[in-house]
Amino acid sequence: MTIPEDFKTRLKIAKKKIKKQIENDSENRGSFMGNAFKLGTELVAAVAVGTIIGFILDNWFDTKPWLIIIFFFLGTAAGILNVVRTANRMQKED
Amino acid sequence: MQQFSVHKIGPEIQIAGIDLSFTNASLFMVISASIIMLFLFIGTKEKKIIPNKIQLIAEMFYTFVAKMISDTAGSKAKPYFPFIFSLFMFVLFCNMVGMLPYSFTVTSHIIVTLIMAVFIFIAVTIIGFAKHGLKYLSIFVPSGVPVVLLPLITIIEIISYLSRPVSLSVRLFANMMAGHTMLKVFGGFVISLGLLGGWLPLGFSIALTGLEILVAFLQAYVFAILTCIYLNDALNLHH
Repeated sequence: MTIPEDFKTRLKIAKKKIKKQIENDSENRGSFMGNAFKLGTELVAAVAVGTIIGFILDNWFDTKPWLIIIFFFLGTAAGILNVVRTANRMQKED
Repeated sequence: MQQFSVHKIGPEIQIAGIDLSFTNASLFMVISASIIMLFLFIGTKEKKIIPNKIQLIAEMFYTFVAKMISDTAGSKAKPYFPFIFSLFMFVLFCNMVGMLPYSFTVTSHIIVTLIMAVFIFIAVTIIGFAKHGLKYLSIFVPSGVPVVLLPLITIIEIISYLSRPVSLSVRLFANMMAGHTMLKVFGGFVISLGLLGGWLPLGFSIALTGLEILVAFLQAYVFAILTCIYLNDALNLHH
């Protein structure tokens, strides 16, 4: 299949246009909102996981309710760590 | 609510004491998967230089996912393109099919999203250990931390690592479930306020439908991009 000459030049121009668009444009607008949705669950999930681990370990070692309290706070710390990391990554992206 | 209820279609199938009957959830997964396959089959059937509409959309999906992977996980993640592409397309089409009236949203059930997230979590962990051996454990030990704090930080890092599948699955499930519930509530307002006051909630539910379509796309995107990020952590060890 032969490619006509004028199509080649048009393709070149179109490619240049796309490059420009990618460089200076707002295509990331969608991902901003995606990032905003990300942050909330990031915190909650770590707290929940920490608490569940504490609950399981409490049942294992019969130390109710100490480990669940400790792991709740550790989970909170992990959640904050998650949020900070995600925020850092968001800053690096732009 | 009725739109979230799972019921069996056809005969009951029991294998080794596990109920494996075909449900409406399975039906809509099959529908989503067949739409994807049909769409990509038609889109890639005629490989023209100047594409028609379907081919154009199929190629857009391809470049979108390819760019996402190379941006977030680098060139090392190229071999995992098929997996992430199918994951993205499946979540996207499940969400979108769920937006149709009388349909069933597969992703509004936590068990579906949790299974996907746990699968990704286990796969990423295996990839990490396969690529780096025991050195992969060093992601739990950040550098530059005083020795006194090290046990504490390690526990926090482990919790943070284990929270990945939970946040991944809960985010998708909660967004889809909340969106559909909200639409249902506003739809209920339309009926109960009647011909006089029902126009305002009707307008809201039209606007919310638009928002839901955005969320459906966005959640599929977030699901895929987080998979890329986790993959990146496993492939390129540096903290």
